[in-house]
Amino acid sequence: MRTLDLIRFSFNTLLRHRLRTFLVAFSVAIGVTSVCLLTALGEGARRYVVTEFSSLGSHLLIVMSGRTETTGGMPPIYGTTPRDLTVEDSSRLHRVAGIKNIAPVIAGTSLIENSSSSISRSREVIVLGSTPAIFPIRGLTLGQGRQLPAMANTKATPLAVLGSKLKHELFGSQAAVGQWIRVDGRKFRVEGVLAERGQSLGLDLRDMVIIPVQSASQLFNTQALFRILIELDQYASEDKIKLDIIKLISEHHQGHNDITILSQDSILSSLNEVLSLLTVSVGMISAISLLVAGVLIMNISLITVSQHREEIGLLKALGASSNTIMALFVSQALWVAAMGAMFGVFLAYFILYVAGLLFPDFPIQAPIWAAPAAVSVAMSCGLIFSWWPSKQAALLAPVIALRG
Amino acid sequence: MSFKDAIWWIFKAVVAQRTRSALSILGIAIGIFSVVILNSLGEGVRQFVLKEFTQFGTRIIAITPGKTETFGLGSLLATKRPLSLADAQDLKRLAFVEAVIPVTFGSGQVKSGRLSRYTNIAGVAAGMDKAWAMTLASGSFLPDDNWKNPRPYVVLGHKIKHELFAQGKAEGEWLHVGGRRFRIIGVTAPKGQFLGLDLDDIIFIPAQLGLQLFNRNSLMEVDIFYREGTSSKAISQQVHRRLMARHGNEDFTIMTQDDMLAVLDRILLILKYAAGGLGVISLLVGCVGIITILFITVRERTQEIGLLRALGMSHQTLWWLFVSESALLSLLGGSCGILAGGFVVVVVGFWVPLEWQWFEIGIALSIAVIIGVLAGLWPATQAAKLNPVLALRQNP
Repeated sequence: MRTLDLIRFSFNTLLRHRLRTFLVAFSVAIGVTSVCLLTALGEGARRYVVTEFSSLGSHLLIVMSGRTETTGGMPPIYGTTPRDLTVEDSSRLHRVAGIKNIAPVIAGTSLIENSSSSISRSREVIVLGSTPAIFPIRGLTLGQGRQLPAMANTKATPLAVLGSKLKHELFGSQAAVGQWIRVDGRKFRVEGVLAERGQSLGLDLRDMVIIPVQSASQLFNTQALFRILIELDQYASEDKIKLDIIKLISEHHQGHNDITILSQDSILSSLNEVLSLLTVSVGMISAISLLVAGVLIMNISLITVSQHREEIGLLKALGASSNTIMALFVSQALWVAAMGAMFGVFLAYFILYVAGLLFPDFPIQAPIWAAPAAVSVAMSCGLIFSWWPSKQAALLAPVIALRG
Repeated sequence: MSFKDAIWWIFKAVVAQRTRSALSILGIAIGIFSVVILNSLGEGVRQFVLKEFTQFGTRIIAITPGKTETFGLGSLLATKRPLSLADAQDLKRLAFVEAVIPVTFGSGQVKSGRLSRYTNIAGVAAGMDKAWAMTLASGSFLPDDNWKNPRPYVVLGHKIKHELFAQGKAEGEWLHVGGRRFRIIGVTAPKGQFLGLDLDDIIFIPAQLGLQLFNRNSLMEVDIFYREGTSSKAISQQVHRRLMARHGNEDFTIMTQDDMLAVLDRILLILKYAAGGLGVISLLVGCVGIITILFITVRERTQEIGLLRALGMSHQTLWWLFVSESALLSLLGGSCGILAGGFVVVVVGFWVPLEWQWFEIGIALSIAVIIGVLAGLWPATQAAKLNPVLALRQNP
């Protein structure tokens, strides 16, 4: 039997049982669609996190004070130590080769008041003390006005840049640049307002105020930096720079290495790993439904074989080999699986397209491997589960089969 | 047709096509099996996490400096209006308060003899052992000193003691922390991790000395443990009133354990039902399987149906027969799935947190039967609609 004939023959058999073919293909389609859709959800979450991170600028190191020697646990995020990281420490880091930007950060909470308008509005927000370098490092852009002055790490000046939401809360639709605000009673002049931007990793940058790091040091009466953010040159070696930083800092910390350096890439890659794992496991769980579809394929193949005993007998009597018979039935199952899989993929991508239109902010998209993987699992199910019934058909003795 | 006959007829129908029925049952069984396993896993994880959180007891209120708007970062950030030791001390006087633990966290180098190690340092106070359900391997906890002027005693975490003293005795030795000497008075029993913080890789010193060590004026957190007989709401109102009186405005956040648990529990429940929901997809496919097989059965038994109808069986009875057959198939499938799931839960449950859930299992079984009935509707209607004359005449 020629391959073409074989394919046509099995296709015609399927057409004769339209309803059953449709139902089996439908069950395969459910499985394939659910695999594609659920992995798309996981992949969407992963992409969301990745874009959030990369919007902070790539190649970022985060230096915090404090260190624990037991690895594998959480880094000491609270950053309180007997020997603090200081603004001087961060200024020294300029000597390390391969560093593009350094932003020391003092973070605190404070009550912000609009002191210039007749209506007094106040709000408790996060105050970031930093230098102009924080703008390129965290990918912040100004909507109005100017940045912090370049001398922010040596001189305390009463200037502030407001987040867009904070500006709105304090000034409404009035102009804010040039106006005065009070940060815990101290007067600061609004130099600029950040451009509208969404949340960044849970930290609402729209509801913050950025002031020079020395002003924050005075305001909170502390030398201790919360973090030092460092942006590396594009081709710099991260590991070498980490060592250089540790060496330089410990020289000025009486020879003690008491800092922790996190690299954004390593945080991102571990998050990426977790989310990818989640995506794969969700995909595998939904692939169980393909297994159930496989059982159905087996059932239907068995029924088809038993219904076509006489035909099988005739074919064998006319000289068809066992292999041909086997190929006939297996190819039928493969046909159904393929149709179902194609339909499932089509349906999934249609739903994803509609979802993309409805929620443009969430980057929901099936991972590249999802559709091929789902289709090949579906096809393998078709092959494996039709194998035994087809074998039964191939083993039928022509005489007995003909007799019915 | 008597009820007994009907049962017999359905039974015969299922048994006559043994392989076919077995495969339909298998399909449903796989679906129910995955629902059961995923649901048990979700519940297991939920209980595990809740247990982690309630290990310190449930009558806890945590106060952090700064307002809620700071995403719980409040305790890490600098502030102009600190939560001081005096605040914590004042809260001790409230009714129903059993213990107040001022908390400050940090990390630093600790030295004993020639050995040194970087570790977590917690500034706390007496009563911490009861409050956090810590037990000692040896020695005693921090004594109930005056908070303003405590004696420089330190309690070591299990791992730190091991690193610095190996098998030797630690009590009575000196420990240098940030240029200051502390007398070791106790070693905690192994406790494990909590939220990523290794409770064995830590030392406990009096809160006041911790604040001095880190050069801070504000506590990171104040934990209040209250007695039975009052509600978390009443006690947090009391705390709120007292702190408002002291600070003049609301520059602190009060979180009760109940609030935290409620939020956590909601997330975990959603996760659990989402996991169970994933299993339902397989169940749906199993349902399509039953529909398909019943259609084939109806087609094959057309003559038989025609005969029954000719002999006077009503539409309804015939309809019921097919629907019941379908329901029986999925009931059997559901039972097999639950049995297999139960087996796995019992065996694997030794290593993985799996929780058997009678209520959800019951729901799974009812879903299986409902799906069976639904799957039977369409083929059964087809069968009942058959014209007896045409049906009888048809060749199989």
